[in-house]
Amino acid sequence: MEENKIYEKEHTINENYRQKPKVAVYVCHCGGNISDVVDVKKVAEELSKYHDVAISREYAFMCSSTGQDYIVEDIQKNGINRVVIAACSPALHELTFRGALQRAGLNPYLYEHVNIREQVSWVHKNDKEGATKKAISLVKAGVEKVLRQDPLNSIRVEAVKTVAVIGGGVSGMRAALSVAKNGLNAVIIEKSDKLGGKLNRSGNVYPTGEKAISVAENLSKEVLSSDKIKVYFNSEITFVSGYVGNFQINVKRKNGEYEKIKAGAIIIATGFDNYKPYEGEYGYGLNKFVLTLPEFIEALEKSGPGKFNYNGKDINSVSFIHCVGSRQIDGIDKPGKNGKINEYCSRVCCTSLINTANNLKTKYPDVEVFDIYTDIRTYGMDHESYYKEASKNDVIFFRRPLEERPSVEFDGAKIKIKTKDVLTMNEDMEIETDMVVLGVGMVPNDITDLVEYMKLPKSSDGFLQEVHPKLRPVEVANNGIFIAGTAQGPMDILESLQASNTAAVKAAALLASGDIPLDPFVAVVDEDKCTGCEKCPKECSYSGALTMIEKEVNGKKKKVAYVNAALCKGCGACAAVCEPRAINVAGWSLDQFDAMVEAIAKE
Amino acid sequence: MSTKNTDVLIVGSGIAGMQAALDIGDSGLNAVIVEKSPSIGGKMISLSKVFPTLDCASCITTPKMAASSHHPRVDIYTYTEVKEIKKVSDGFEAVIIKKPRFVIESECISCKKCEEVCPVYVKDEFEYGLGVKKAISIPFTNAIPQFPVLDESKCIRCGACARVCPKDCIDYLQKPEEINIKSKAVIISTGYEITPMDAKKEYNGTKLPNVISSLQAERLLAPHGPYGKFLRPSDGKIPDSIAYVQCAGSRDESIGIPYCSRVCCMYAIKQAMLLSGMLPLSEITIYYMDIRAFGKGYEQFYNQARAMGINFVKAKVAKITEDEEHNPILRIDRQEDGSKPQEVKHDIVVLSQGLVPSTKNFFGLELEINEYGFINQPQKTLSPAKTNIEGVFVAGVASGPKDIPDTIMEAGSAAVEVINYVKSVKVGS
Repeated sequence: MEENKIYEKEHTINENYRQKPKVAVYVCHCGGNISDVVDVKKVAEELSKYHDVAISREYAFMCSSTGQDYIVEDIQKNGINRVVIAACSPALHELTFRGALQRAGLNPYLYEHVNIREQVSWVHKNDKEGATKKAISLVKAGVEKVLRQDPLNSIRVEAVKTVAVIGGGVSGMRAALSVAKNGLNAVIIEKSDKLGGKLNRSGNVYPTGEKAISVAENLSKEVLSSDKIKVYFNSEITFVSGYVGNFQINVKRKNGEYEKIKAGAIIIATGFDNYKPYEGEYGYGLNKFVLTLPEFIEALEKSGPGKFNYNGKDINSVSFIHCVGSRQIDGIDKPGKNGKINEYCSRVCCTSLINTANNLKTKYPDVEVFDIYTDIRTYGMDHESYYKEASKNDVIFFRRPLEERPSVEFDGAKIKIKTKDVLTMNEDMEIETDMVVLGVGMVPNDITDLVEYMKLPKSSDGFLQEVHPKLRPVEVANNGIFIAGTAQGPMDILESLQASNTAAVKAAALLASGDIPLDPFVAVVDEDKCTGCEKCPKECSYSGALTMIEKEVNGKKKKVAYVNAALCKGCGACAAVCEPRAINVAGWSLDQFDAMVEAIAKE
Repeated sequence: MSTKNTDVLIVGSGIAGMQAALDIGDSGLNAVIVEKSPSIGGKMISLSKVFPTLDCASCITTPKMAASSHHPRVDIYTYTEVKEIKKVSDGFEAVIIKKPRFVIESECISCKKCEEVCPVYVKDEFEYGLGVKKAISIPFTNAIPQFPVLDESKCIRCGACARVCPKDCIDYLQKPEEINIKSKAVIISTGYEITPMDAKKEYNGTKLPNVISSLQAERLLAPHGPYGKFLRPSDGKIPDSIAYVQCAGSRDESIGIPYCSRVCCMYAIKQAMLLSGMLPLSEITIYYMDIRAFGKGYEQFYNQARAMGINFVKAKVAKITEDEEHNPILRIDRQEDGSKPQEVKHDIVVLSQGLVPSTKNFFGLELEINEYGFINQPQKTLSPAKTNIEGVFVAGVASGPKDIPDTIMEAGSAAVEVINYVKSVKVGS
């Protein structure tokens, strides 16, 4: 692999960290999340007596502007050069507080975040005294750690100003268009021979009533006419390597040729698949008049005027069944091939199904329509009106109890559905019908290979997992990789487009400045101590991150471990096998851990 | 009148406006946020915890507030109304009116001394009327900015605050100030209000003391709420039996709001879960028509609530009255067991109100709105953040009810559309 240019940028404005340590400790109440259990005043008071602590305060919300202003003021006016904050999980606010240090002119890494919410107040609600004691110990350990902390500088890597978008459905197209309009290059990698994904189908879409195919065409026209977007059709991804700013995607094209695509960021827009009922699920596969919703939409569009005729039979009544493959319950529904049930709601099926029922009634007003549901989830601004229209259209609704399932039985040419109906006092109902339509939900597309190449996290529902639904809703844990649309979970078209645009704005902001800052928590080698034993590279799980090189150290040529900072994830596996303690993770050295353990054990 | 030039004017500083401003600023353009309230943060900062992760709302919102206020490319005007926005040849010209706080902001050091000495107590709007605050006070603990506001209508002009202020910055004669904002584009993120408590007359929401609004319930459940506990307003009793009335202001043609407000099922389930943690012995019942747990992880959240023993009863509540001890009495029609309409008594009732637009007047911009006042998105299947006016974009509940994750997605979407639009007009000019 080519060596990429790595920049270092000096964070520290003044050299205050070289002076005698003056630690400030701040204990956050987190509203009452912490202070209802932990005696925060006592924690602050105890810490004020601890060695090298110059200031110790408590405050309602350290993350608020006032809280952050305290930090800035103490650094600038009171000569504080190291900071410990005891608050929530560092996952929430470590970056917030590092920002405050940086604004005040202190190296942002001379900071230790002690979690006394998730690790103390939330788990020791019934032992206030014990919780306070534990908080004091943890904060003291934090002080010991920050006293041994070196100022660090983030690693900066040069970025390729291209975004690779995997999948050419509406989400992928929207993301690519927005990225391109932003001035970056976009590459769409599509496995089939056309753009549009699942919208290359019959029927119309809610809430606009447009033809599905024209929605796809409107976007694809723009995509294909953009000189900043390149589309790879019939292309299969065979490997993904690299890291944020410098990904390399190996693609196999239809003609058998391989190509390598370089990208600074990746947007995954691999979409969804329709749930496929197993044979016999509500009669599916046993009778040609049991169809899934997409199959029915196609049949409806193809059928001619006059009477609704399907497969040689006049259809006088159609029954829709909701939640097929969604909202499944353990012990009631049969698990899928992966041994799991789909507990989630697929979000779009209620409106989609009712929209189709209305279309059926419009085309063939004499067909009787039955609808078997447990909750109607027509949640969107215009969706409820579809439900209302269905009632006006004389669609007959049966509401099954949450934990009951209708049964579909065949008696010669007749189809019978049996269900309990809450709307008629839980009576057992029997519906004779000519056709059954299964409202199948969404399942994630099979992207096992991509998940493995990029080590992508998945949620329990099998869709890709964002870091946090509110703080980082389109990012996965891997730097530089974003999700757009239904690869993340069920969404309708409008929602997919909004999510794709969000992925685009994050990718664009990441690549805007040309180089990307990375956390400096990577392994560093003390070449004096390194004996060249070669144990550590064997433990490293990140290909290329840790190698042995021949190097002159103190005038002598010797073999030493070498870390590629852009590839190292700072996991510490190398440090664990290094007997002379020659390799350490910056910011997490073994000496720091020793001191922390000692501080806690001393109590 | 002073004039400020910027790339994007954002109206409203709730989670939608803040997120859009951050995304715009991070991409290298400038944004100005105008907020009518004295603090940024919108409705979200007043919530207790948020579904489905149960993070405390402050924990998510305060850093976004702090990040917006510290962002070098984001300027914020709080306690400021938008008077008008005009489309002109090279963008937009807005006139905003900074309302008087009666405090000289450039001098104030947020010491709260004025608040301490003020002898006048007024209802606390941040607590939705449940608590009290002083006639001059900082809006709430984690407000940004931390400047007090003097309530001119309640102040008795005793002069105590002016005498105690160490910076001499109380100014009883402060006047509104008009400022011109010139921008290339506009984002409307004006958010929502909940349906008024008296929208459904049968529920007597404004008459019965123990029928409270869902936002009041949020404050009662917040760790730093008005009472520090969940108490019912009439007598301060810890309730043993709590009821939620779903669709109290949505899906109801009789009050002119036929649409579904999307968030009420989930916030009621969330509140019920928090209550069940806070008051483990209490009975919690949710009366509903359909449970709409449609988002990622929501159905699992609903199932968790059922497993915790929260009662879900399929019933439409017809009417709410009370007995002589102010215990609310609900007249309900249970769907499941076919029993006759019956009356049930609870200690406190929370109305799961819906969302209505916070404004239907868009400052002279000829924005297309639907019959309920939400902004139309004419390109729903192509560029949903666009409105009918070129250069004006919409984010969040201003275009229709939605939850926080969906709102944040829309803010990002509006941001990328607005950035690309501004870039294209800059190249063009």
